[in-house]
This record gives sequence, C-alpha cells and structure tokens, in this order.
Amino acid sequence: MEVQKEAQRIMTLSVWKMYHSRMQRGGLRLHRSLQLSLVMRSARELYLSAKVEALDLETPSTPTRCPPLSPEPMDTQEDEEEASPRAAETLARCSAHPARVGRKRRSSSLSNGVDAGLVPSKKARLEEKEEAEDASSEVPDRLLPPPAQAEGAFPNLARVLQRSFSGLLNRGPTAPPTAPPARDAKPVCRPADPVLSVLVRAVVAF
Amino acid sequence: MPSHRMPSEADIISTVEFNHTGELLATGDKGGRVVIFQREPESKNAPHSQGEYDVYSTFQSHEPEFDYLKSLEIEEKINKIKWLPQQNAAHSLLSTNDKTIKLWKITERDKRPEGYNLKDEEGKLKDLSTVTSLQVPVLKPMDLMVEVSPRRIFANGHTYHINSISVNSDCETYMSADDLRINLWHLAVTDRSFNIVDIKPANMEDLTEVITASEFHPHHCNLFVYSSSKGSLRLCDMRAAALCDKHSKLFEEPEDPSSRSFFSEIISSVSDVKFSHSGRYMLTRDYLTVKVWDLNMEARPIETYQVHDYLRSKLCSLYENDCIFDKFECAWNGSDSVIMTGAYNNFFRMFDRNSKRDVTLEASRESSKPRAVLKPRRVCIGGKRRRDDISVDSLDFAKKILHTAWHPAENIIAIAATNNLYIFQDKVNSDMH
Repeated sequence: MEVQKEAQRIMTLSVWKMYHSRMQRGGLRLHRSLQLSLVMRSARELYLSAKVEALDLETPSTPTRCPPLSPEPMDTQEDEEEASPRAAETLARCSAHPARVGRKRRSSSLSNGVDAGLVPSKKARLEEKEEAEDASSEVPDRLLPPPAQAEGAFPNLARVLQRSFSGLLNRGPTAPPTAPPARDAKPVCRPADPVLSVLVRAVVAF
Repeated sequence: MPSHRMPSEADIISTVEFNHTGELLATGDKGGRVVIFQREPESKNAPHSQGEYDVYSTFQSHEPEFDYLKSLEIEEKINKIKWLPQQNAAHSLLSTNDKTIKLWKITERDKRPEGYNLKDEEGKLKDLSTVTSLQVPVLKPMDLMVEVSPRRIFANGHTYHINSISVNSDCETYMSADDLRINLWHLAVTDRSFNIVDIKPANMEDLTEVITASEFHPHHCNLFVYSSSKGSLRLCDMRAAALCDKHSKLFEEPEDPSSRSFFSEIISSVSDVKFSHSGRYMLTRDYLTVKVWDLNMEARPIETYQVHDYLRSKLCSLYENDCIFDKFECAWNGSDSVIMTGAYNNFFRMFDRNSKRDVTLEASRESSKPRAVLKPRRVCIGGKRRRDDISVDSLDFAKKILHTAWHPAENIIAIAATNNLYIFQDKVNSDMH
C-alpha cells in the first residue's frame, strides 16, 4: 500500500509538473518533458505491479477480477488468458488510456509544444481543452475498479488533480499540490492570459 | 562581483568562461547580458599580489524575442559563451541563447585623432577662410574605451533549445547542439549551416533520449563528442560521413541494477562533457558523480568520483523541488590533474586525480575576504559530527553552483553562485586533505 501510495503521489506530481512546464518562459522543454514522462512511466509500472501483488495476496486462487471493459480498437495486443496477469494487463491498458487518447488527438504530448507551431495557438488550446476533458471523463467511465478495492487508482488521480486545480483556482497560479518552493512559480514577463485560460480549462475539465 | 542593484532573477549567472590565455573571463546571465572581466597586469610594486580581475566590458547580448508562429517566448538567457582564439588585436566570442548564436567582436580604443583641418576640436566645420595651412592629424592618447559590436548573427538554425556550442580547433567552424540536432557553422557564413547529427525519431512518441552537451576535440578538428540524457557519450568523426548519426565510439557504463529507482534515468543524464586539455580524456557530470573517460576505452569510465552521494536517498524530495533537474558543469585544471564541479549550499568540489584526495569548499562572502584561505567543508551524514560540519538536512538547495571555470594555465577558478561571481586564486590546491 505504501508503495502504491508513493507511486500514485509521484504520478500526480509528474502530471502537475508537465502541465506547469508548458507555461514556462521559453516554451516546453523537450528534455524536461522526457524526464517527467520517464518518471511517470516508472511510477505507473510500480503502482501497477504493487497493485497486482496486493491482489495476489488477497485472493491466492484468483478468478479473474478483470473489470468488464471493452478495450478501444487501438489497444491491439490484448491477452486472452485468464489469470491475474490479465487483470494487470487490462489495468495497464486502462491506465494507458488517458495518455493514449491524448496522443491520438495530437501526435504526442512531447511534440505538442514543438509542433504547435504548425497550428495556430487558439486551435492548440482547444485541443488541449478537449484532451483534459477526455482524460478526466475517460478515466471514471472506463476504469471500473476491481471489487476488492474500494477505489481504483485513476478515480483517485482524477480527484487529486481536481483538488489541485481547485487549489489553483483558490490560491492562484503558483500553487502546486505538494507545495514546492515559491521559486517554481513562473515568470513575470508572460501575460496573465495563459493563466486565465488554464483556470478556465480546469473548470471546464472538472 | 556583487551586484549594486537589488538582486533579481535577471542577474543570475548562467555561464562562465575564461578565454584561451586566461586574461579575460566572460559571464552571461539570465537577463541576456555579458560581462567581461580582465586580469590586471601584475603590479611591479607588489610582486606578491597576483593580478586581479576587474570589469572590462558589459553589453546586452540577447533580448527576449517572441516566436509568433509557435506563440512562444524565446528567453534571453545566455546558455553558453565560447571564446574564439585570438587572431589579432580584437577579441571575439560566441554567445548563445536558446535559439540564436551571436559573434561579438571586442575592440579597444585608446587613441583618438586630433588636429583635423576642416573640423575644430568640437567637430564643427571650420570657416575655410581661417584655414591658412595644412596639418596632419595626430593620434593622441585617450581614456580606454572598449567597444563591442555584433559581427554575425546565426539565427534560425534550431527548432529545439540550444544547449551547447563549441569552436573547432580549425578556428573557422563551430558547432551548436540542441536536444535533437547538431549543426556545423562556418564563422563567416550566417545564412546556412550543415546538420551533422540528427537523432529525431520519425515518430516523436518513440523518443527515448536527447542530446545534452557536445564539444569538439581540442586538437583533432574532425572529432567531436556529444552526451545524451541516457548517460552515454558518442564520439563522432566528421570524415566518416556527412551525417554523423553513426558514432565512431559509444561510451556507456552498464547500469548497476542494485541502484535502480524511479529516478535512475534522470540522474544518469549527462549534464556536461569536457575534453581534457590533452585530448586524451573526457570528463562527464551526471547528477551525483563526475566521471573520467579514456578515449580508448568505451566500456566504462576509468575514474568515478562521488560529488554528493548523500543525496541518493533524497532523490524523491529533490524531484519534488525540481533540484533533480539541475544541470551542473564540470572543469579540468590546466594540467588535467584536478577536476572541479559544483554542488549545493554554495559548495564546490575538487578531486585530485593523482592523489585521489578531494576537498569541498564554499563560495560565500564570509569566506571570501581578500587573501582569506578557503576552509575545507564537510557534509556529515550521520554518526560523529564535527564542529563545523553541515548536516545534509540543513543544506540550502537554493544555493547551487552550476557553473564553474578554471583558468587554462594557472590555479585561478571562477565560481558562479546564483548572481555572484567568486574568483579564487592560488592557494586552493594546498588545502586538499
């Protein structure tokens, strides 16, 4: 549980950092985005493997606890085996959903900042808004948690993100969920508009 | 050099570089300014006092720009400065921000012509009827004026953010590297450059590593090295092909599986790579270590030094406060026997490669009175704590020394501590313990 919680916390933090890095002066930094996505991926893997272990411990003779999902057509290699590995894999597929959907909409979260140059900025913002909505609505709909657990990862994640964005609304643009030092707060030269649009997006998304 | 204004983010020093003789020291800051210091000639009256560095010139190198197509602001922060070898009375340097490299020429004017025939002392045209004889204007001494002018602007060469520039030993070309590509420029040609490395994948979703630093070999004009976010170094030979995507040598240390964590990949990213003056070795810096590599051995570094291994158990907190992303630089001394790098709490570390001794020193106002001898510092992890030790938990992570430089020949080092520049001379080496 500890491991799961920690992994979840790191995932949330990474998402926040990625979001926040878009507003930095100088634009999205490719190296930073890559590093954040690597950490997020590691955290997700750890979370899922810890979850699988927890499931194994609870019910040794596992009937499959697969949530009754219908995977999207884009999720090609679905295993048909019945076992807790399947639960893990479907969970893995589900967890990939928000990111995958996001990627489907634009070429990649990484390239967004760069290739947004090909698309006028208003359209890029619209797409981001869509992605945020999709990510949040996708998550509770598609991922039905296994009955053994009161709450799955991603409803929690959505709630945490919601809290953090409410925090954004309440406290102002520089407040992160885990309160890193104020010097993370970003700069002065950028006009207020991106911040307002962020807040608008947050409200719409949740 | 303490700033006279209130310290602001624009004053944060972002790069430090000695020129090839060590006579000049250039610093760049977040506000796009370059400040050049010059070493005063040693005074004959006081032969024991070494020449000190005074401000020689200050100029605005880069301004903030806006990329309208991408709706992105381009920061004016100076990422790197590299001096060109001096070829005449003028000095030249390259300075770069995220997107544009500029060649600056620095010249001195200490004489001015006087005694014009047609103009008077103030420059007004004379009444011709008063001119009865011709004189030859003579050059008279004047107060030294340092003039800086931008001679070339190398723009639009990079889609991603420039992280390094390096002048070739041929003194005609230089390269600039961003996250995915490296370009070769001729110093006299601004409207085109040659792409010599391109690691951009066809599908950006497949991106797994980026270029973090690059440098030309000090003697072989066809060789250069670039480092990656995965901790590897690639040595490339420009004679082999026009596009050097295939490396000549790949330097990579296998990962120790026992030390794997969430953050293994981040901390293995190489933040700086420097050839030794001899050209035989390379020095790399990743988050926790500095490593010396022999060009003849690709399998692993020949030496590894722990900079601040006590941070290994604190990586999660360092991820939270973004410190884990800090990019520290490293430096060789003139004889390649000592290496130096910065750390937190305004500490910097030096490692003597021969004696294997190391020292931790602090750049602070208290310890930097003139002629003061720097006292070695110690970070205590647990157990016995000596009087002046600092505990890990009381380290100030806001005080980071990312940029350091070592004089090419003498024991003079320049340390950038946020918005202050410290220059230490002479006695530093004798304090190794």
